[in-house]
Amino acid sequence: MLSITVACLTIAVSAQDKDGRMPIEEAKKLKSPVPFTRKSIAAGKNTFVRNCVGCHGADGKSMVDVVSDATDLTQPKYYKSGASEGEVYRSIRDGASETMPAFKTQIPDDKDIWHVVNFIRSLWPDSARPALQEDK
Amino acid sequence: MSDNKTESPKTELAGVAAQPTQPVEENAASRRNFLKVPAAAGVVAAGLLSHTRLSAAPIPSISIPKEIPETMNEAAKPGEFAGRGMSGAEVFAKLCKDEDLAAMFCCPGNYTVINAIAAAGIPSYGGRTEGGMCAAADGFSRVTGEVTATSGTEGPGFTHMIMNIAAASAARTPLLVLASNMQLAGDDREAFIQTGYQQPLTTGIKKYGKRIIDGNRVWEYGAYAFRNMKSGIPGPVHLDFPGEVARARFSDAAKLTDFYSKDKYRTESRAHPSMKEVTQAADLISKAQRPVIVAGQGLFQRKAWEALMVAAEKQDIAVVTSGPVRGHFPDDHRLSASMSPDALMSADLVVFIGQYCMPSPGEYRLSPDVKAIRVHPVQEDLGRNWPLDLGIVSDEQFFMEALANTLTKKKRDAWVNEIAAAKAKTEKTNMDHYGLGLKYSKDTNMLHPAVMVKEVHDLLYKSGVDPKSTVTGCGGWTSGLYAGRWLRANRPGQSVVCAYQFGAIGPDLAMMIGAGAAVQRGVGPQAPYKGAPVLCVTSDAGLAYSLFELDTAVKYKIPTICVAYNNNSWGMWPQASSSARSMHMYLFQENLRYDQLAIGLGARGEYVRTPEEFRAALKRAYDAGAKEGASTLINVQAIKEFTSAKNYPPGVNLNPEPGTGAIAH
Repeated sequence: MLSITVACLTIAVSAQDKDGRMPIEEAKKLKSPVPFTRKSIAAGKNTFVRNCVGCHGADGKSMVDVVSDATDLTQPKYYKSGASEGEVYRSIRDGASETMPAFKTQIPDDKDIWHVVNFIRSLWPDSARPALQEDK
Repeated sequence: MSDNKTESPKTELAGVAAQPTQPVEENAASRRNFLKVPAAAGVVAAGLLSHTRLSAAPIPSISIPKEIPETMNEAAKPGEFAGRGMSGAEVFAKLCKDEDLAAMFCCPGNYTVINAIAAAGIPSYGGRTEGGMCAAADGFSRVTGEVTATSGTEGPGFTHMIMNIAAASAARTPLLVLASNMQLAGDDREAFIQTGYQQPLTTGIKKYGKRIIDGNRVWEYGAYAFRNMKSGIPGPVHLDFPGEVARARFSDAAKLTDFYSKDKYRTESRAHPSMKEVTQAADLISKAQRPVIVAGQGLFQRKAWEALMVAAEKQDIAVVTSGPVRGHFPDDHRLSASMSPDALMSADLVVFIGQYCMPSPGEYRLSPDVKAIRVHPVQEDLGRNWPLDLGIVSDEQFFMEALANTLTKKKRDAWVNEIAAAKAKTEKTNMDHYGLGLKYSKDTNMLHPAVMVKEVHDLLYKSGVDPKSTVTGCGGWTSGLYAGRWLRANRPGQSVVCAYQFGAIGPDLAMMIGAGAAVQRGVGPQAPYKGAPVLCVTSDAGLAYSLFELDTAVKYKIPTICVAYNNNSWGMWPQASSSARSMHMYLFQENLRYDQLAIGLGARGEYVRTPEEFRAALKRAYDAGAKEGASTLINVQAIKEFTSAKNYPPGVNLNPEPGTGAIAH
């Protein structure tokens, strides 16, 4: 069932805007096929450490002024390119603004991107964080 | 063809070597001709004529004054106690000579000291800015491991060095920072000019420092300096010389405090590891499935690369290099993980050796659960930043030799294959970006950085040039991050990480000229490649800090190829893209002609915008460097938008750490 969902998503997100990114309206409609579980968060953290800490820091707060407009990932209300799960997925996969690169090459498996989405959401305040699901 | 190109017919002119020197007589003759203008022509007419005749006179060519080679070739003349006696500066210079100080890079100022050091026979270079010369000294030291000095005058000259002293401090360079500093008699009085308290200004960016306040103790504090630079973890040492010290006179050694030879004021004794700890480390390595050694600069400083190779090959241990210089484990070795960041994440044991600038977990692509061993010469640093399973106090070379002898043979085929696969993935990503760069270059008729650095790679490592011969370094933001992915280090001291840790943009060109001086002299690991050119990839933003040192490169015939990525901006311009009234602060005039500036400084200049133009210019630059000792700046015209992830994906992102392209640790 999961693989079917991912396959559908791949088809659904094939459209691109003029910047080669998924149209934002399509991104808003996306639903994560990967449950918000401890295992997924741990897997996402592993990928985050490899690819994201240079700009966003190990804690996601982006306090290092190497990239001055890097988003503080712990505060979804300040996200510039949207904080729905699909929009976060889009920012990782296709890049955001001038500086956030697309990571679809470095993270070729869609599931790994969704794990990163889950790890990022685990950094959010309690009130904004989705309910944790049991690992299966 | 662009307007800019047509306006630059002289860009292929050779530098000093090909430019005939205009005899001084010609100008003198012109002035004599002017004097022959009949007075009857009237004052106004004479003025007009004089202007015309002077303008028509040949402009003297750039040339190297004969005093430069003449004085460089003079015999050394160190001070002696006999006769007129020695000055404090000469006493200090004698100590520097006894300690084999490798070279000094300076600007005039601190005259008594720099003259004494040069006269003592220590290779000395004079340049255009104290900051540039400080970076050059750092570069010389980074590619040799040797103590190197820099000097500037009190006040302005010394403070100009600050950025590059800090860079050297982050890189743990054994850099001897010298500066004059007025008179003790003027302290606290703001007497005359340039008075300042120097030592507080280097707090936090030196290992040791002292304003020498007693001429009789100049030898003693010189010994302090070398003891600090040659023991434990190296770092900059800052000595400032008041006139009473530099100009003190000594007719015999009796007045000098602690006038001992170096074998009495410091020791070459270093900590050996205990066999118990070596065995523990060997056991942990043997039991690991995927061990990796992070080979830091301590291994380079202690010249332990052969023992490292033996240990790694004995058990198929992956090795990734780190530090301000790379190559002490070759990138092209099957066990090198310097281009295999994804494999690093699955390592189950990391052994840090000689890692002076210690990262924290998360800064390196290593699993948070990885077991860690750290070998370090200084006990109090063990356990800082990174939690350890085993900490060992030892000299890096002694540990590597002991480990190589203790390890039993073991094959790790799966691990070696994983490293190879991860490397292939990195290479594919680089090639994908190169393909995109080619498309963007074609679309815009401007050169994309991915194409620029791939062409550099192909010339240096695939064109028939000895792939181990050229020492490289890179800086800038867009240019530096792209270049880091393509520059290779296949032997000790081959690649300088100019921005290492401190992240200074700009000293790179001067740093590479200093590295080039070491190659010209064949110092240490550069000996087999004596005379080869050096290559620096830098940016238009960075050039502002050390472009003028091209004069120094030409003057001393240090063949330096400067690939200048010109995107009309500070590479960080995207930070202003969503901020009001900000972008202007990040931009320069467009299409500036750095190649013409280079020509004006006596170097060769080239201007390119296409891959074909760049390939040809690079070949000409290399040939001119290798055959004539000429230096070249290639102005690679680009556009700032290549930095944008939105318009020209992938834009720019930080390279993984540690390994090729890493700058932070």
